[in-house]
Amino acid sequence: MNQDIILEVKDLSVSFYTDNRKNNAIRNVSFVAQRGKTLCIVGESGCGKSVSASAILRLLPELSRIENGEIKYYGREEPINIEKVDPDGDLIREIRGGEIAMIFQDPMTALNPVYTVGYQISEMLLEHNKDMKKDEAMKKSVELLSAMGIPQADQRVNEYPHQFSGGMRQRAMIAMAMSCNPKILLADEPTTALDVTVQAQIFELMDNLKKDYDAAIVLITHDMGVVTELADNVSVMYMGYVVEDGTVDEVLRTPAHPYTKALLASIPILGRGRNQKIEPIRGSTPDPFNRPPGCQFEPRCDYATEKCREAMPEREFISGEHNVRCYCYKEVLKDE
Amino acid sequence: MTQEYIPKGRAKQIARKMDKIDAASKLPPKKQLIKSRSLRKLISNKLSVIGIVIFTVIVLSSIFASVISPYPPGEVNLRESLRAPSWEHPFGTDKLGRDVFSRVLHGGRISILVGLGSALGAAFVGVLFGSYCGYKGGLLDKTVMRISEVFMSFPQMILVLLLVSMVGQSLANLLIIFILTGWGSVYRMTRSQMLSIREEEYVQALRAFGLNDFIICFKHMLPNAIGPIAVNITLSTAMFILQETSLSFLGLGVPVQIATWGNIINAANNMSILQNNWWIWLPVGAVISLFVLSINFIGDGLRDSTDPTQMG
Amino acid sequence: MLSYIIRRLLTMIPMLLVICFLIFVGMELMPTDPISYMVGPEQIANMTPEKLEEMREALGLNRPFIVRFFEWLGGIARGDFGYSLTNGQPIKDIIAAKLPATIELSLYALLISTVFGVFLGILSAVKRGSTTDSALTVLGMVGISIPEFFFGLVMILVFAINLKWLPIGGRTLPEYTSYWQQFRHVIMPATILGISMTAGVMRYSRSSMLDALNRDFLKTARAKGLPKWRIYILHGFRVALTPVVVLIGFRLPTLVGGSVVVEQIFQWPGIGDAFVTAVRGNNYPLVMMIALLTVTMMLAASLIVDVLTALIDPRVRLE
Repeated sequence: MNQDIILEVKDLSVSFYTDNRKNNAIRNVSFVAQRGKTLCIVGESGCGKSVSASAILRLLPELSRIENGEIKYYGREEPINIEKVDPDGDLIREIRGGEIAMIFQDPMTALNPVYTVGYQISEMLLEHNKDMKKDEAMKKSVELLSAMGIPQADQRVNEYPHQFSGGMRQRAMIAMAMSCNPKILLADEPTTALDVTVQAQIFELMDNLKKDYDAAIVLITHDMGVVTELADNVSVMYMGYVVEDGTVDEVLRTPAHPYTKALLASIPILGRGRNQKIEPIRGSTPDPFNRPPGCQFEPRCDYATEKCREAMPEREFISGEHNVRCYCYKEVLKDE
Repeated sequence: MTQEYIPKGRAKQIARKMDKIDAASKLPPKKQLIKSRSLRKLISNKLSVIGIVIFTVIVLSSIFASVISPYPPGEVNLRESLRAPSWEHPFGTDKLGRDVFSRVLHGGRISILVGLGSALGAAFVGVLFGSYCGYKGGLLDKTVMRISEVFMSFPQMILVLLLVSMVGQSLANLLIIFILTGWGSVYRMTRSQMLSIREEEYVQALRAFGLNDFIICFKHMLPNAIGPIAVNITLSTAMFILQETSLSFLGLGVPVQIATWGNIINAANNMSILQNNWWIWLPVGAVISLFVLSINFIGDGLRDSTDPTQMG
Repeated sequence: MLSYIIRRLLTMIPMLLVICFLIFVGMELMPTDPISYMVGPEQIANMTPEKLEEMREALGLNRPFIVRFFEWLGGIARGDFGYSLTNGQPIKDIIAAKLPATIELSLYALLISTVFGVFLGILSAVKRGSTTDSALTVLGMVGISIPEFFFGLVMILVFAINLKWLPIGGRTLPEYTSYWQQFRHVIMPATILGISMTAGVMRYSRSSMLDALNRDFLKTARAKGLPKWRIYILHGFRVALTPVVVLIGFRLPTLVGGSVVVEQIFQWPGIGDAFVTAVRGNNYPLVMMIALLTVTMMLAASLIVDVLTALIDPRVRLE
């Protein structure tokens, strides 16, 4: 067993039961997070990447559940099977925030508008450090905020979220997430709602955190550019399946799944000039209630064959950790 | 090895619900007889079906009052005064020997007419001004808004009584008063709906086509606001019926000689009747409550079924 | 904050003026000689017709309409509300005598409806979709559907006439020595008024709480590992509170209007009772003045609501 692995998700399936119908949000998803490394989960919206993150902390909405699979957390002496614990119990509450922290997409709505930023950070500190005093927590909050690059933190700590700008709020969120030195940081599209310049600052901050705290980062994004810059490992998701998974080099240099390849072809690369060929992926994502019977990507895939229409391909390992769910990956690789 | 958590209590209930949905999802989909999603949702709501049934029964028996009950509601028969319920008189008779059952049925006509009539009238005025003002804005909008504010700054019951004292009691006056005091809320709701619809692209497009304002407003925009308006009409029908009966109970509503639900229960202002002749006021009170409840059930079902944020 | 309150007060003045004007017009339209409510009755009784005409001139009743309006308005500002037509009592005295009774009743009703409404609404939201939730929803609809007077009659029959636990009506008796004896009188009317309001408050708290529970920051609170009560009370309820306060604030003055029926059934000697009596007896000056009073209370309540909202929601903090 690799000592660096802190979180292992194996064959995880989650279904939603809202509106009296069943939606298989994620299907047999597997990935691992390692200490001091960043795992990027990429995919279009609705592909199940946020669901995977919520499942790890058992924060799924009421009418949904984990159908099968394992979420193994190795942060303690004994590994914990998170999928088996009481989602309202003490154990998961200790883990939430204390060992696995999460930051959300929209910092505008993720902070409670009626409490000061300082209150919200110290609330978290007090929850996980039972012998800490209120004023100590407040002092720590100031330190955390200034460590995240918020000027005049001692004053801003008493301000309300609406008095912060978007980027500042996300910094405050990160300060809150890092306040209890978590072993894993789950970041659910942390910069989607922010300006590009602010995005870069936030990513730099997260990169430093990874090095300073030796934390594992699970970064959920739809932005391939972010992946190239930050990721150590990549999982590509499509319609609830991880279609390709591996180190950033393997996946980006030798994409083995047609979807990954199409994603890479659809983004412009800085410095290649204006004549580069950008190819959008044809068609659109299918309705989750009316899925293709076989490979989920088959209707949009250039490599599709008869076989693809029958069943979703199993995971196949190409080399080392690089694996893919495609019948035709050899042709895809050859085409490079 | 982590011990497996077994859901208890509420979590167990939810798990069971999910099992049910899971099982249903494996069956072939049922054919849907009713095309409209809103209607389907309304019918799948048990309470609104109960509401529709009660409502229909009461309305129909009021309409066919003379067929169902042989006694004219105003027929005085002093020899039959204050009889307890029997086969001839299911709800007994009142002091003047009038058949209470027959009075309840006939009274329903007036009470329902007042309630529904006022609600429709108030909705008509409110929607007319609300949609046009919401769409056009400007001076007209501002003026109407101020007027509605004046009306709405009175507590409803106080304003109604104030107007009653000024114009006197009659059926027509009551209808007018209810419309006057009730149009404000419909107006405001429609106006705010229209304000948000106005921002939508298709309205801009229609304007660019040079379509007449009235056509854009009433033909293209209004239908999109019809859900909340329908809910408002049902709920205000319930409110007006309650108000009419309250006013008549106080002796300030419909003139006493006309049988309405409120006028019938008005008799219970008398201590001896309250104590000894329960049949005069208890059944009619129950009918009022049931009828208002049925409308509220329907209104609630409508609200759920027309709410576009709740799909499915 | 203070300047905000003053500004709000200033914007209310035109509204109040318009309503005063309408009420004055209403009184002018009524077929009653204004002198009968501007001068005390014993004075009128001692006057000859010529003297009365002189008085009319002196009071300015022959002056133009608009002048009389402003004089009337000045009178109100000085606390001169005119006289009741039926017994010649100054209206000021009637209001002063009746208002405390109504306020007592309203406060109890408000207390009942707030405590039960908010508690049940939140319970219902937290347990949404459960049997408790549906039972409470149905119960709430039953609560708003039963007319107050019918409910009142049933209660009188059961608790006052048959069980003899509570007095039939009235507010107090001369032989009472403590408030607790008097308190028995308020129980039934306050319960009925309270229950009819509870349903509304409950429904509103439920939807407000549901709204708060669906917000993103609640997920943040869960992700922080906070215990359930903290999530529901400190994060959910605290945010749901603002709209609930708004609703309850606006209920304050409607209670005065809404207690009309209940006061009648229980012969509660309050403003609502006086109002109905005045309407029945065509006592226009009293009708108009009570209406004006309730409007003023409505406007005052909206100001209080605004200030309260600002106090509990930092996003609308006022400068």
